[in-house]
Amino acid sequence: MTDRPLKLVLNGTPRTFEEVPDAERLLDTIRWRAGLKGTKEGCRTGDCGACTVLVNGDPSLSCLTLAREVDGDAVTTVEGVTRETVGRAVVKAFEENGAVQCGYCTPGFVVALSGLLAGRSPPPSTEALLDGLEGNLCRCTGYAAIQRAVAAAREAVR
Amino acid sequence: MRFRTDAAPKAEGAVVYAPDLEAPGMLWAALVPSPVAHGRVVRLDLEPARRQPGVVAAVGAAEAVSLLPGGTGDGAAPVFPSPEILYHGQPVAAVAAETLGAARAAARAVELEVEPLPVVSGIEEVFPEWPTRVALPHPQVVGHVHARRGDVDGAFGAADLVHSETYRTPGVHQVALEPHACLAEVSGDTWRLRSSTQTPFGLRSDLAESLGIPADRLVVEGTWVGGGFGGKGGALIEPYALVLAAAAHRPVKLALTYAEEFQLGRTTLPSIIRLDTAVKGGTVTGRRVRLLLDSGASLPGRDFAVGYSMGFLLGPYRTDTFEIEGYAVRTHKPPFGPHRAPFAPQSVFALESHVDGLARRLGVEPLEFRRRNVWKEKDRTAYDQPVGPFGLDACLAAAERTLRDWRRGLPPDHGIGVGCGFWSTNAGEGGEARLELRPDGLVIYEGEREIGNGSVVRGLPTVAEKVLGLPASAIRVAYGDTAKAPFDSGVYGSRTLAALGQAVERASRALLATLASRLGAATSPTLELRDGHVTVVSGGRRVRLATLLTPEERTVGGLVAEGKFYAPAHRLDTSFVTDGQVFPYRDFTGGAHLAEVAVDRETGHVRVVRYAAFHDVGTAVDLALVRGQVEGGVVMGLGTALSEEMRWEPTGRLGNPDLLDYRLPRLRDVPPLQVEIIEGFAGAGPWGAKGMGEPPIIPVAAAVANAIADATGTRVHELPLTPERVARALKLL
Amino acid sequence: MFTLAYPSTPEEAVDRLARAAPGETAVLGGGTDLLLDVESGRTTPTELLSLRKLPWRYLRWERQSLVVGSTLPLRALEVDPKVRTQLPGLWEAIVDVGSPALRSRATLGGNIGRCSPVSDLLPILLALDAQVRIVGPNGRREVPVDAILQESRRTTLGSADLVEAVVVPAAAPCTYLWQRVQPVNDISQVGVATAYAPTPPHWRIAVGGIQPRARRLVEAEGLLRSARPSDFEAELAAQEAARRSTFVTDRRATESYRRRLVSVLVRRAIQRTLARVPPVAGGPSSSP
Ligand SMILES: Cc1cc2nc3c(=O)[nH]c(=O)nc-3n(C[C@H](O)[C@H](O)[C@H](O)COP(=O)(O)OP(=O)(O)OC[C@H]3O[C@@H](n4cnc5c(N)ncnc54)[C@H](O)[C@@H]3O)c2cc1C
Ligand code: FES
Ligand code: FES
Repeated sequence: MTDRPLKLVLNGTPRTFEEVPDAERLLDTIRWRAGLKGTKEGCRTGDCGACTVLVNGDPSLSCLTLAREVDGDAVTTVEGVTRETVGRAVVKAFEENGAVQCGYCTPGFVVALSGLLAGRSPPPSTEALLDGLEGNLCRCTGYAAIQRAVAAAREAVR
Repeated sequence: MRFRTDAAPKAEGAVVYAPDLEAPGMLWAALVPSPVAHGRVVRLDLEPARRQPGVVAAVGAAEAVSLLPGGTGDGAAPVFPSPEILYHGQPVAAVAAETLGAARAAARAVELEVEPLPVVSGIEEVFPEWPTRVALPHPQVVGHVHARRGDVDGAFGAADLVHSETYRTPGVHQVALEPHACLAEVSGDTWRLRSSTQTPFGLRSDLAESLGIPADRLVVEGTWVGGGFGGKGGALIEPYALVLAAAAHRPVKLALTYAEEFQLGRTTLPSIIRLDTAVKGGTVTGRRVRLLLDSGASLPGRDFAVGYSMGFLLGPYRTDTFEIEGYAVRTHKPPFGPHRAPFAPQSVFALESHVDGLARRLGVEPLEFRRRNVWKEKDRTAYDQPVGPFGLDACLAAAERTLRDWRRGLPPDHGIGVGCGFWSTNAGEGGEARLELRPDGLVIYEGEREIGNGSVVRGLPTVAEKVLGLPASAIRVAYGDTAKAPFDSGVYGSRTLAALGQAVERASRALLATLASRLGAATSPTLELRDGHVTVVSGGRRVRLATLLTPEERTVGGLVAEGKFYAPAHRLDTSFVTDGQVFPYRDFTGGAHLAEVAVDRETGHVRVVRYAAFHDVGTAVDLALVRGQVEGGVVMGLGTALSEEMRWEPTGRLGNPDLLDYRLPRLRDVPPLQVEIIEGFAGAGPWGAKGMGEPPIIPVAAAVANAIADATGTRVHELPLTPERVARALKLL
Repeated sequence: MFTLAYPSTPEEAVDRLARAAPGETAVLGGGTDLLLDVESGRTTPTELLSLRKLPWRYLRWERQSLVVGSTLPLRALEVDPKVRTQLPGLWEAIVDVGSPALRSRATLGGNIGRCSPVSDLLPILLALDAQVRIVGPNGRREVPVDAILQESRRTTLGSADLVEAVVVPAAAPCTYLWQRVQPVNDISQVGVATAYAPTPPHWRIAVGGIQPRARRLVEAEGLLRSARPSDFEAELAAQEAARRSTFVTDRRATESYRRRLVSVLVRRAIQRTLARVPPVAGGPSSSP
């Protein structure tokens, strides 16, 4: 198995990775093979959401995903998400609403929220969006500014 | 509004944190944890680890001694235990290898033989009876504080009511989202460290002292900090990385797993608090405070927490007749460490629950009772310090209006609680600022990076902006390591803006003074940015800065000015202290909180329905930052109130070293939050600002506990206020 | 560490499992449980058999039943509008499993395979009398979920058996309720599921958070003799449920608190389910 290269459509670009161990987590492939460190490593046990990426458009935890289990899939990280219109609007909403403090949780929030908003017209209700972020921990902001940012981002992409 | 320059880069994932660090030739480190909480290392064999593929270095106590310039290091607290192990998971050795997987495998291959010794896992094992008189010296007591003022026995003897209660609080962890990580490199005789730290200079002196590395050969560069909350102050993982780097002659990266983060972190530890209040004719006439504080593996004489907590246990109330006594109890846990407003939330939970219950017993509305007794500006503290500008009563007055509002139509099984507290900005040693005014803008040189609250990226530039008149877009913060940046004590104690801000203010004024003299003007000029050029405006005259610089300044970059702020010493007449140390406080700030809860009378589950926080901030130099601190602090406090609890097993092992069983508040747990800023009670910071990093967490657990008492008539005496604890208090089981 | 195998048919997967030495090959669904067990060293397989290439990521309705392929991520069930309206109790349970980003990997097959005593899905599957379609060395069979569960990390599935799909009868009004320290994203201290099956009329009560596994409480069910039990009957059934459950004290709750919770939540779940029973003629009506 190990000799077959791993293929991902990473942030829209087909990429091939050689010699990826079967046990490697998608999080590590992204951070240390692709060098995309925007995806943060927090707990590695599925509890914090800092490692959230989009797999075929769905928010997924890259720390609990084996890289080979998404072979051939489209994986979008915060670097890719924030190149798109929706991601840009989300970043702007976070920035303008004071939703970024230490920032360690922020890429996870940005990816998850962008994933929930992208290609959905009309966008889901603010309540549904907030439900969608229940797995993302933030220790700094108390979530209040993040909630304001979510409402603002939703308005912006309408 | 774009108020923080770091927000967008962070949101885009473009900011490099310590866990992201990489260097050419870098090795990965793994720690070898002790399997017991107390024991003696009998045999440590690193050879099996060294034989593993990819391993470059393996070090234990013996290697640390030979590799560190200071020889033995800090004899009292060596890098690795030799031979006594003091807490479960304590690293006994460390390994560096080409990959993280190889390092972890090698760490498991280390052969370790330990002779287990009896474990003291908690205070109750040492003092099953409490309150009690403790004969000193006592083998498990590493700190003792005793003080008394006034005729306490007389007050209790003459009292017509004595209100006595015991409270318990658990260990709580900072849980910054970013785990500790650092990268160490030793080249020639220079030891270089990049680390996620709140205090680059403090870390440097800490390491220099404990490892014997001369401070001028140790260079610390702080990275962006992914949350600190007190947990990223002094040295924690850095010594291991430095020793490995010295052994391997290559850069070594060490990053903790979350489980290690929980097990090794220096955190708030459990306490038992006993409060007795004497009342005569409806007036409080005396108080006794007794505290047992778990200090973990703290060394004798290094415990400050007991003494520091005493002020919070007496509270912002007029008291001149009291007795305080506290013991720091040594147990087999990592040493007690600072955590956002160290031990204040716990102290205030106990005191404010006690005061609330007392008010109810006396038939006085609890908020009104506080207003009668809290310090006003002219009052003196329990330690006889002048209070000075202090807005707690104003906070309570504002809270009273909201309380009245909330009381209207309050549903059954709902209750409203009030909690209040004070904080005192810890200025630290001091700080220095270096500013460079260039033809195109201002650069502020800094040794510490932003930890999140905005005080560095936003607070300091705001100070310069206000003094100089330059727009925010023309001001930039540049970071340097401890070899290049001006000294500062670090980001803690809510001090950054309040203390370092003053250094920036002074440096800014010095810039203006130099410019005034060069212009021959009697008054200070102001600055503006015109078409990208810094322009000096003085008496209606506009001159480009470039024309005022000396040739040398033009080549260096610009006009340099320095400002220093070293905290004035605060003297305290401590003749009332019979043993140990109590601490003076300074620059008081107050906060009052209201919580409305709904209690499930059948299960004990508590839901916080809404929340309001009123804070005396002196002057809000930046409203958005203050709001962010209050919201963040309140929610962290809700975790302390409702769910956060480190649970050690009798073996000394932490039973819940993960986020699944150490419960933090999540987005959907959080109630609507109202923040009200009270101004007009000037602090010592620039324009009267007061530090706001810590105060907002302080009254939260108290407010929630008091709301539960309001809803049910029953008081819970132990944090956190979990459904099961509330159910027990309600006698449901 | 382990290597991955990717069988492309169920038969190939079963065959591979049948030939593997005990403990050597583990079945990988979404991996949200298994990878943590591997990381902690609790299990040390040398091969993980991935179900990714098997055609089991589906959701369909067969007559009155929902059929869920065992590798379908829970997230797909959650966003299906018909699941939400037809099986509100199942939906309530699903959205309580971790976070959306976890549910985009976690599967029903894995939840059954893990057989956690604190699973949020097993009580409702029990209450709905879900059937499990199994493929194994001797072909295919269908058994009630109740017959599969044993204790934490143990089921009656053979070492070469795979869960292919779960069949959930959909005609029953149902509810799932739980108690947690913090409501969001926490582990349930206890979970209670109730369902009213109209044909033949019967109440089912199942409880999780008890030992050694989630289970039906038939004694309590027996006290609910009508389609519309009174509050008093519901209370009696709840007391019986609490009495008949076996609990332990662990770091999440004590035994006595769990008992208390069951007695409250069973009553509430019955009442909530009642509110979901359509009061129209032809629907379940009061029996004498
Ligand atoms: C952060 C976090 C939060 C969680 N919260 C909850 C919660 O609130 N409630 C809850 O119930 N659970 C929770 N879980 C547990 C877990 O997500 C669920 O049990 C999930 O349904 C497991 O599915 P999986 O596909 O990921 O299983 P896997 O990890 O792939 O497998 C689990 C077990 O089942 C076996 N298995 C998998 N698929 C099959 C199959 N088709 N046939 C036979 N055996 C199979 C595996 O061999 C393994 O033994 C949580 C987990 C995490 C990490
Ligand atoms: S790192 Fe993946 S959820 Fe925390
Ligand atoms: S901003 Fe620090 S964890 Fe969210």
